[in-house]
Amino acid sequence: MSAQDLDDSARKAKRHHFDRHAPDYRDHFEEITEELHQKCPVAWTDTYGGHWVASGHQEVFEIARRADVLSNDNDVSGERRGYVGISIPSAQGQRYRGGFLEMDPPEQRHYRQALNPYLSPAAVARWTPVVDELARASLDEKIETGSIDFVDDLANIVPAVLTLAMMGLPLADWPIYCEPAHAAVYTPPDSPDMPRVRQQSIEMSMRLYQAILEIRENPRPGLIDALIHAEINGEAPGDAEITGALGLLIGGGFDTTTALTAHSLEYLSEHPGERERLRRERGTLLDPATEEFLRFYTPAPGDGRTISAGCELAGTSFKEGERLWVSWAMANRDPKVFPEPNKIDLARTGNRHTSFGLGIHRCIGSNMARMTFKRMLLAVLDRMPGYVCDPAGAVHYPTIGVIQGMQHLPATFTPGPRLGPSLDETLEILQRACDEQRLAEPVTRRHQQAEIGRPAE
Amino acid sequence: MRVHVDPEKCQGHTLCAMRAPDLFELSEIDGHSSAVADEIPAGREADASEAARSCPEQAISLS
Repeated sequence: MSAQDLDDSARKAKRHHFDRHAPDYRDHFEEITEELHQKCPVAWTDTYGGHWVASGHQEVFEIARRADVLSNDNDVSGERRGYVGISIPSAQGQRYRGGFLEMDPPEQRHYRQALNPYLSPAAVARWTPVVDELARASLDEKIETGSIDFVDDLANIVPAVLTLAMMGLPLADWPIYCEPAHAAVYTPPDSPDMPRVRQQSIEMSMRLYQAILEIRENPRPGLIDALIHAEINGEAPGDAEITGALGLLIGGGFDTTTALTAHSLEYLSEHPGERERLRRERGTLLDPATEEFLRFYTPAPGDGRTISAGCELAGTSFKEGERLWVSWAMANRDPKVFPEPNKIDLARTGNRHTSFGLGIHRCIGSNMARMTFKRMLLAVLDRMPGYVCDPAGAVHYPTIGVIQGMQHLPATFTPGPRLGPSLDETLEILQRACDEQRLAEPVTRRHQQAEIGRPAE
Repeated sequence: MRVHVDPEKCQGHTLCAMRAPDLFELSEIDGHSSAVADEIPAGREADASEAARSCPEQAISLS
């Protein structure tokens, strides 16, 4: 054995088989997490060409914020160090980077500086009336029937339409983006349906590319306009880079909030006492309950990184070029930080969960996710307080490698009256509000909340 | 009790202001937090401590 091999086997002494894409990981998540925490909160696994996996909260905390020795870069054109981004295994045949989540500073910082004024808490709060109208109209479509699919009929629609509105895209186009955004995540790579899903994703990218050209020609406010005019390392980004960033915003904005909402509604159906408590005590419970659902269900369960400089972190010595999986989901179940981690406590305190990541790549849509989730949840609690989910019809993603999501969540409830116009009509009303009030301007240019006028019933 | 938010560590998770909006203010532009005043008003220590405990980046120090 060479000195190099000896060194490697010593460094990688804490080994554990770990395959986050296997259905087994979803089915035995709590046991696997517990085992990793106890035996090796930083472990080496041989899967996917070999990589590190960090699962302990303290370890994740120490490692994830070290942007000085970690890289998110996806060097698709081989211009830098050949790093392969945030997916393990790396995405095959990717032609452009996954937006600023696959970049390092200073570039990454420039993108975020351009987009933050659209996504800050103050910026997002302006959209609350729009989200309330969308939730109202989505529930109205089903309220008289007594049955709903919370994924298809609510949690897919509201985040999708809001994301398009913020981008400056036509709201009525939401179905074009919605299906591929979800299907690209839940369809296994070897599924016979994959070619169709890939085709849809290509069409979505083409549509986005076209939108960039249109908005260049006829400017309208929103995230696309912000990207077109962004200054990245002193220059405007190219169309491929902008398309990558838009893909990231859609990927981040659609499936994750849907996943959180569906899981939380499912839990509350199984725990009607907790649901009633949350409905009654929303003033004090809604915030901590939202953070607890985020912790427990961690919609985006982790991120890959590349070690960019040899370093010693959390008791492990890492070498340049090695790959590392940072598990937000497992860090969120560490009993050293979260007492009774596998239990949902709606009033949990000290909940410093990692569901939006840690460090410079903190989810840029976190404020939007929270607001959209809370407004959808309240709408359901107010209008369908006694809903019952049908476990036989609930479809969870078979694996949780990318997103811990749900595809369907059917439920029944006591029917009630509609409160306003149909979803299609509402989309038209909201589109007019977006256009006339320029709702998608950054908060630095527009401070007021959206005003949604509705025709009298 | 004094409070400080380390601007190098804060990443704008907003949990502090969610717990104690009178003690922490968020930048309109990026949601990063700063203390409204260095000194915590009497009777508000518990919420300040809870804000510090729940900060994912551990950016808040109390003294």
